Amino acid sequence: MSESTHAVPEVEYSAALGPNQVKGRVVNGPERNAAVQGYLPEIIKGLGKTIGYALRNTKDMVLGTRNDPVLESISDGINTLSYPEQKRPYPERFRGVHRLTQRPDGSPRCVACLCCSTACPAQCIHIEAGDYGGDKKREGFERYPKRFVIDELRCIFCGFCVEACPCDAIRMDTGIHPSPYDSRDQFIYEKDLLLSIPGRAGEHLTENPRVERGEDGYPGVTRDHGH
Amino acid sequence: MNSEYFTSSAFLVPLIGGLKGFAVCMFGLNVGVILTWVERRLRGMIQDCIGPNRAAIPLPGKVAAIGLAAGPGLTAAAAVLGVAILMHVQQMDKSTVGAVFLQAGIFMLWMSLAAISRAVARDGAKNAVEEFVLGFGSPRAIALTGVATHIAFFALALFMDVQGESQAAFIAGRFWGGALLLAGTMAVSAAHVAAQWWGEKEVRITLLGLLHPAADGVKTAFKADFVPPNGDRLLYNLAPWITLLPALVLIAVVPFGPTMCFQPVAGSLLPDLAALTGIESVGNRCNEARLSLQAVDLNVGILYFFAMGGTGIVGAALAGWASDNKFSLLGGMRAASQMVSYEVTLGLTVVGALMVYGTVRIDEMVLWQAENAWGIFVQPFAFFLFLTAAIAETKRVPFDLPEGESELVAGYYTEYAGMKFAMFFFSEFIAVVSSSTLMAALFFGGWHLPFVTAQGIDIAWGGVSHYSTQLPAQALVALGVLGFIGKILALCVLQVVIRWTLPRFRYDQLMRLGWRKLLPASLLNVMVTATVILAVQSASPEAQQAIAQLGQWSMVFIALSGIAAGIALVVFLFVPTKKQRLVVSSAARFAEMMGGTREARMEA
Repeated sequence: MSESTHAVPEVEYSAALGPNQVKGRVVNGPERNAAVQGYLPEIIKGLGKTIGYALRNTKDMVLGTRNDPVLESISDGINTLSYPEQKRPYPERFRGVHRLTQRPDGSPRCVACLCCSTACPAQCIHIEAGDYGGDKKREGFERYPKRFVIDELRCIFCGFCVEACPCDAIRMDTGIHPSPYDSRDQFIYEKDLLLSIPGRAGEHLTENPRVERGEDGYPGVTRDHGH
Repeated sequence: MNSEYFTSSAFLVPLIGGLKGFAVCMFGLNVGVILTWVERRLRGMIQDCIGPNRAAIPLPGKVAAIGLAAGPGLTAAAAVLGVAILMHVQQMDKSTVGAVFLQAGIFMLWMSLAAISRAVARDGAKNAVEEFVLGFGSPRAIALTGVATHIAFFALALFMDVQGESQAAFIAGRFWGGALLLAGTMAVSAAHVAAQWWGEKEVRITLLGLLHPAADGVKTAFKADFVPPNGDRLLYNLAPWITLLPALVLIAVVPFGPTMCFQPVAGSLLPDLAALTGIESVGNRCNEARLSLQAVDLNVGILYFFAMGGTGIVGAALAGWASDNKFSLLGGMRAASQMVSYEVTLGLTVVGALMVYGTVRIDEMVLWQAENAWGIFVQPFAFFLFLTAAIAETKRVPFDLPEGESELVAGYYTEYAGMKFAMFFFSEFIAVVSSSTLMAALFFGGWHLPFVTAQGIDIAWGGVSHYSTQLPAQALVALGVLGFIGKILALCVLQVVIRWTLPRFRYDQLMRLGWRKLLPASLLNVMVTATVILAVQSASPEAQQAIAQLGQWSMVFIALSGIAAGIALVVFLFVPTKKQRLVVSSAARFAEMMGGTREARMEA
């Protein structure tokens, strides 16, 4: 008998429920008894909650036992990441700011083939190609970028340039995102800056080895063989 | 007779008055500024974010190591040893100081051991000292052992009954042991901190974020001084001053401590603290020269407070009108109407207290409370009404409609920038300090502490004295001033907590609360108070005796609540927080692989 009095009344399937026959659930508003309407007891309860959170978090800060906001969740308490003092680690394949990889001698690996600027859907890469004049090993075979400019504000960080590059010369494995600047021209990254940005492990080379023409162990066709 | 100290000297009265006024202004300004820090700090702790920490003085590691750790630490250790040797040479009584040395030494020892142990548990041991400390156990175990040691030595000194030579040996041993322990712990822990800082490239001194308000003050002073082109230039520039100055001079009539009675010293210009003969109480007025600890000795007392408190809002209304901005004008008008509504309640609430105390002078109100019971027990209802009305008067959350961001941008100071904005901002906090000061004086006994009488400490209840001791008048004055400042700070923090808890009222709700709830309630309070006063006055002597004893029991209640709060705090500090480790998202799994997200340690 008591069960039936406490049960939520079943709503009949009818036209009133709409085409999907969605049944609603009755949600009662907060109770309005004397303690709630008296206002003061509820205010004091609320003040207690505020002070409780403040004391608990202060204790955690003083004792150095604050939870790691990403790793842990605590049963009671608030979980906030205090950016930028605490940072969520980016996944390994996070596409950050671009960098131009270097050869062992410090020159760019880029050969100014314009594959990246062609692939770029945002058209934010500008390359001016130059010739290795006077360098007998490279002259006539490959070019180098006289200018290599990326507009980081235009870039959509799709990673197509990295995919397109045949020489592994442009990479986005830096793990950093562009810093905020106060004017647009500061987002124009020139070649020297791009070459100076290291990868996550601080390296300027890549893990893919590449032996250039004229160096020992060069696998391709040489000048003597070919022409 | 009952004259201010050396009233005959036309030179000294303005000098002492000026000194007291300066001290009161500095108190208001400094506590106001610190309160801005408390508010941000508390917000950080409630919302679990870092809070104010960006303002810092960067020091090279070696400078910080020598200047901030090794230097002061070794100086303090040398000072302790110097005092010990001086006392030995001068053959002074070593028992009290020896006990203090020992307890302070134990405290320093377990605190530094626990701190080092906590750091080692977090970052791993880096040197031999830390390896050594690691052997003592967890920080909690060290702290618990420390507290137990405190109690053990205290009990030992209390219950050990030794006489003659062995007593002298015990006192000397405790003195020298305590001094050496204190000095040694100071030196070693300072050296440990210095060793950690020595290798650092840069040490940032943030003082828990306390430098942040200072940096804000300096910053606002150098900002552009903007005046709206079509605004009223004179009133626009005047408004911040009209808001700031009344808030600052409000506390001039509140006594910060008991009135001191002096034996006039012939030929001496300034009051000689050694000639302090006692403090005033209800039945014991000074009959020689006196020095009160309030800036202005006005006979209108609390009426001055209301006069000045009402003036502050004029600044807000002027600012709203002079800014040539719709939002400012609306904010200014809201401020004015809010002031009118709540000033009535504020005044009527105090009428009940005035009837009980029978005076408008705040120093006499405090004396009445010291003699009978604190105002919160006599007028509990009035306290809540007064608190509500005072928050509305200071225009703070939940009654900050004059500056309601959601509808009025920033209300009456929308057009203000730089130092003028800062003056509005600070005057709000100073108003909090001054309203807390008045509340402490009206409802929390002012400078009076439970069981502290004009002669010393007298723990009495049920009409019987259970323990009493004499204290010098200097100690009573110091206790009173410190107690009063403590009460003010506690009430300030209460208002800050209210600010971080309650949401803002709607404007019609504010008016309805003011006129239809608070005003009738305060009138009712006056009627009930009047009836009760008549009833008490016409009661039999036995009943009046019983009421007087109730006053004593209220003091017992305050003392017990204070002790219970202290114990609760200690228990809270030692109870471990329950935490679950729950690695949920892919980012969390990656973070775990990387060893956590703490690139920077959380600190203020």
